[in-house]
Amino acid sequence: MERATSLIKIPVTLEIPIGPQHPAIHEPILIKVYADGEEVVGVEIGTGYNHRGVEKLLENNTFYKDKFIVSRICGICNTVHENCFVRAVEYLAEIKPSPRAEYLRVLVMELERIHSHMLINAIMAEIIGFDTLFMYIMRDRELIMKAKEIVSGGRVLADFHMFGGVRRDIDEVKRDKLIEILKKVEPRLKYYRKLFENDPTISKRLTEIGVLKTRDVVSHGMVGPILRGSGVRSDTRAEDRYDAYDEIKFNVIVRSEGDSLARMLVRWDEALESLEMCKYILEHLPSGPAIVDERKLPRTFPAGESFTRVEAPRGELTYYIQHTGGSKPYRVKVRTPSFNNIINSGFSYLRHSIADVPVILVSYDPCISCMERAIVVNLRDGVEKKVTLKEIAMGKVKL
Amino acid sequence: MSSIKEIEDIFSSYIIGKDTVKPNRPRFHIDVSNLKEAITLLKQRFGEEALYISNIIGVDKITEGIIEVNYFIHIIPLANTIVIKVVVPRDKPQVPSLIDMIPGAYSGECETYDLLGVDFVGNKYLKRSFFVPTDVVSRDIFPLRKDAKV
Repeated sequence: MERATSLIKIPVTLEIPIGPQHPAIHEPILIKVYADGEEVVGVEIGTGYNHRGVEKLLENNTFYKDKFIVSRICGICNTVHENCFVRAVEYLAEIKPSPRAEYLRVLVMELERIHSHMLINAIMAEIIGFDTLFMYIMRDRELIMKAKEIVSGGRVLADFHMFGGVRRDIDEVKRDKLIEILKKVEPRLKYYRKLFENDPTISKRLTEIGVLKTRDVVSHGMVGPILRGSGVRSDTRAEDRYDAYDEIKFNVIVRSEGDSLARMLVRWDEALESLEMCKYILEHLPSGPAIVDERKLPRTFPAGESFTRVEAPRGELTYYIQHTGGSKPYRVKVRTPSFNNIINSGFSYLRHSIADVPVILVSYDPCISCMERAIVVNLRDGVEKKVTLKEIAMGKVKL
Repeated sequence: MSSIKEIEDIFSSYIIGKDTVKPNRPRFHIDVSNLKEAITLLKQRFGEEALYISNIIGVDKITEGIIEVNYFIHIIPLANTIVIKVVVPRDKPQVPSLIDMIPGAYSGECETYDLLGVDFVGNKYLKRSFFVPTDVVSRDIFPLRKDAKV
C-alpha cells in the first residue's frame, strides 16, 4: 500500500453577512465579517440601506418645516437633533432664548440621554443572554419616557424646541411629578451600574473585549462614550457650554480601559450624572417666560454660515448650515455620531473571535465560501507551503 | 497654551483668506495643493491623539462653478473645531485624500464622493451607492449637486 507523502489543508474562511436586517442590529446596516476559523480577519461595513435624502429635503423646505424634519432623523435622540438645528439657526439670526427655556432644553435632552443609555445597556444585556435584565431595564426606562412626556408632551418625539425658546413649559405639579420619577429611577440606575461592574458573567463577557487604544479612537474620529471610554476627556457639553450647560455642574465621565465594559460603564455613570442634572434643573429652574410666540418669529433669516455641536447620547452630533438669505437654507449638513462610530469602526473587530462581534452571530446560518488558497504540508519534514487552488488545478504544484 | 493664534501661525504661509463660521469656528482658506501639508503641520503640532476630522462638508456653488470642501477638524486641547476650506472646480473636483494621514477621513470622503462627486485622489475605497440608491446612481446623478433633480 502506497503511503501518502503530502497533505492538502484548505482553511475555510467564513464570510458572514450580518444585516442589513438582523435581530441584533436595530438599524439597517450590513456588517460583512470575514473569519478565518474563529478569528475575524476582515470586516466590510455596507451602508445605504436607509438613506432618505434628508439633506436634500432640508434644502427644499423652509426653516420652520426643517425644524420638524430634523426631529424625525432619529427617534431615540430627536431632541438633540432639533436643539442642534435650532441653535444653528439662532446663531444666524442672533436670537437668544430665555434662561428658563435654556434650562428646559437641557432637561429634556438629559432625560433623553438617560433613556438612550438605558436602552443600549438593555440591548447589551439581551445580546449576552440576559433577557430578564433587558426587560427589567426596559421597564424602568418607561419611567423616563413618562418624564419626557410630562415635559414635552411626546413620549418619543418631543418637538419641544423652537427658534428663540421652547414650545411647552412645566408648572409646579409637573415639576413635583418629575422629581418623584427621578427619585424612583435613581436606585435602579445605581443597581444596574453595580450589576454591570460586579456580576462575574457580565464582566467576563465584556472585559477586555474590543479594546480600543486612545490613538485609534481619535484617529478614526470616533466620538462620545467610545472616545471617553478610551481615556479621552472630550464632551461637547463641557467644551461648547451651550444652552444652560455653563450653569449646571456635571462631571465628564472618562475611563481608561477602552474595552466594551468601560463603554457601558461610562454610559451608566453618565445616566447618573444626567439624573443629578435633571434634579438640579427642577430645583433651580429660572422664572420667566420659556415659550416663544411663534407668530412673532421672522419668516426669513439673514445669510451666513453656522456650525453647531451637541453631545448626543452617542456622541458629538453636528449641524452645518449655509444660508444665502430667504426662507430656505442653501445647504444643511447633518453629521450624526454613528456616522463616524459605525462606518469607521471596521478595524476594531479584527483579531477578535466571531463570538465577540457584538451581535448574535450564532443565530445566522453563515454563507461559507472558500478562498482561492490552500496549504500544502510535506508530511516527511512537516514543512507547510501556501499555494493557490489554481496552481494545484493547473498541475504546477509538486505534491 | 495652545490657541487659535498659534494655528494661524502654523498655517501662515498657506492662508489665502480667513473668516469665521458662527458661533466661533475659525476658518482658514487654503489652496487645495497645500491641504496635505497643512494637515501634516497640524498633526505635528498637536499629535495624533489630539485631533480628529469631525466633518467633511462639500457645498455646490453652481453659479460660481465651484465646489467648496470644508474640513471641520476638532482639536481636543483647544476644545474647539477649526475649519479648513479648499475650493475646486465643479467640472473637475479633485482633492487629495487624507485617509493615509487620518483614517477617520474615510466616512466623510466616501460620503462626499457619493453625494457630490468630489474625487478624493488616493482613496481607493470610493464607490457609488455608498449611500445613494442604485436607481439614482444608474442615472449618474450626484444628488446634492444643485442641478440634480431627485
